[in-house]
Amino acid sequence: MGHKRLRFLGVVAAAMVFTLACGGTTGGGTPTKTYKIGLVTDIGGLNDKSFNHLADVGLEKAKTDFKIQADVKESKSGDDYVPNLTDFATKNYDLVIGVGFLMQEAVGTVSGQFPNIHFAIIDGAGTDSKGTDLKHSNVQSLFFKEQDAGAMVGVIAGWLEKNGKAKKNKHVVGAVGGISIPPVNHYIAGYKWAAKMEDPSIQVLVGYSNNFTDPAKCAGVATSQINQGADVLFQVAGGCGLGVLQSAGKAGVYSIGVDADQKDADPSVIASALKKVDVATYTAIKNVVNNQFQAGALTFEIKNGGAGYSVDNLDLPAELKAELDKIEGQIKSGALTPPADIPA
Amino acid sequence: MPVGSVLFAFVIGALICVVTGANPIAAYAGLVCGGLGIGCTQGENPALQISNTIVFFIPLVTTGVAVALPFRAGLFNIGAEGQLLAGSVACCAIGIKFADLPAPILLPMVLVGGMAAGAIWAGIAGVLKATVGAHEVVTTIMLNYVAQWLVRFLIVGGPLELAPGTSKSHPIGAGAQLPTLLPADNSVIIFGLPASVFRVHSGLFIALVAAAVFAFLLWRTAFGYEIRAVGQSQKAARYAGVSVRRTIVLTMLIAGAFSGLAGAVQIAGVDHNLTDKFFNDTTGFDAIAVALLGLGSAVGIVLAALLFGALHTGGAIMQSDAGISSNLVLVLQALILFSIAANFVGAIRRGLPFGRRASPELPTELPPAAGLMTEAAVPPPGKT
Repeated sequence: MGHKRLRFLGVVAAAMVFTLACGGTTGGGTPTKTYKIGLVTDIGGLNDKSFNHLADVGLEKAKTDFKIQADVKESKSGDDYVPNLTDFATKNYDLVIGVGFLMQEAVGTVSGQFPNIHFAIIDGAGTDSKGTDLKHSNVQSLFFKEQDAGAMVGVIAGWLEKNGKAKKNKHVVGAVGGISIPPVNHYIAGYKWAAKMEDPSIQVLVGYSNNFTDPAKCAGVATSQINQGADVLFQVAGGCGLGVLQSAGKAGVYSIGVDADQKDADPSVIASALKKVDVATYTAIKNVVNNQFQAGALTFEIKNGGAGYSVDNLDLPAELKAELDKIEGQIKSGALTPPADIPA
Repeated sequence: MPVGSVLFAFVIGALICVVTGANPIAAYAGLVCGGLGIGCTQGENPALQISNTIVFFIPLVTTGVAVALPFRAGLFNIGAEGQLLAGSVACCAIGIKFADLPAPILLPMVLVGGMAAGAIWAGIAGVLKATVGAHEVVTTIMLNYVAQWLVRFLIVGGPLELAPGTSKSHPIGAGAQLPTLLPADNSVIIFGLPASVFRVHSGLFIALVAAAVFAFLLWRTAFGYEIRAVGQSQKAARYAGVSVRRTIVLTMLIAGAFSGLAGAVQIAGVDHNLTDKFFNDTTGFDAIAVALLGLGSAVGIVLAALLFGALHTGGAIMQSDAGISSNLVLVLQALILFSIAANFVGAIRRGLPFGRRASPELPTELPPAAGLMTEAAVPPPGKT
């Protein structure tokens, strides 16, 4: 009956969420056209402390700034993606936003059925069942230059090693990826590139857990890297990566979070590499309101404020802060370009 | 009693809304519009809402039957979810491997394959129960986990995965797909929308036939009589010459076949591939509520599945129209379950058929819920 017990716990949690959610919403009425924007979360829901939450933050900001009608549908299961997207489309929403690559196929299907409705999808494209981008003229893909964010945390790792501020100072750092796919490797590429730039004698260990969900698998890779002398570990493996942060905490070395600010995941987290989904969502809405919707990829990077880093459980030395600002400026100006492929 | 449970849930749900400052009428109007397509005010397409409800209704009927049949034999099948996943996996594996076969050959193959896989999955629990007395509640729950992790293994870095990192399988061949009731064509306009948005598929008929087969099997065959006899009293059944072990194993095999069929129909009719949504699919667990609410009768299960399907579809509309979190639907579902559960506490107090001692060979304490399904507690509609 374990499931039922879970279910009753779920009821308590749901009742709490419901209490918060029952406040009711009303669209702001203006004499000019009120744009209607629909956001469909993936199964993580609005309280996932990650992509869905950030997308909602962007939506709320746009609601304040542009007086739009902003509606959210939380998907309870993968079965809900298509009906949720379809409902907004049938009601002639001006933009329907899907959060995350899990929704790629659903966005591909529904955008084909409603060629006059604009869609945007975070970190994905509208695809067919084989994952091929259908390149519909009404779909905008909101992508991120993960290597920009990876480079900033790479600066932190390299600088700590070079200046003897890490825990072991053997000039060894690590990165634990989930699966060797482009978004993961972009992060690691920027990280390794920047760490080497800061500390030319550094060795960057790169490992993969072949998993995005099981913390134990990532903990195994992390422990192996720690045993090889690594004392700063960058996790690029979603939920699996929590195992990296925890292993680092147990071993008394530093760790770096990914995608969202993971400061609270473990005390060992000194920084996080960020995809600013809120900025991406806000920008996509702004473009629609300004009648500037464009199909195809829109890329978010340091230059347009769509990627970056946060400093977490670390007293940031002034020299390191100066170094970070310098590198960030150079990436913005184009003087430095973090690579998309992991350097040798 | 079931109507009372549903009413109870809706009254409490309304109270929750009022207490938290929301409008319960708006909430339920959203649910009714979303679930049944009635009284929509914000531009929802009624036909589309009904179509979506039916898509959720189909697997709930078939898995509901898979829970209700063992109930009648005094067995608590918590494993409908695992059996459904086994059916989905088999359907996918066959549909991918033989993708080029024509529909008249491939479609029966994937459906029968799904039924066989579900039957094997449930049969493991049935054989263990009949031979070593392992409690089916424990074994079926455990087999759910095995099935979930098997799916995970197969599509995350495993043999069925489309490409690394995609967490989904190849699509099944066109011949393995159940046709939708309306043409799957973006250019044909029906009810004011492209026909392809109506996902309701021919699995609807399969589900209804499954419910009819369940009723026929239970009430019009000798085996159905044996199932009910075993559920009433194993000792009496054995005295009357019924093989209890054989009945237990066969009941579980048939129940598993129903669940497996539900999984296969879901793949063949809607998804066309295994995706990571199956990691947290809850159809097989909702089926327990559907079977209980439907009092284990075919008509009851169909009605209960319709209610749960409508709640599922309505939740999203309620959220976007009334601004009330669709989690209210989960609260309602849990309240319905709760009031049914509270009712069988009362049944135990009244000393309805649970006081029996287990037989020495087969330690089978009846699960409390089984009492709901027995003639003593509820006069079955089909009984003459």
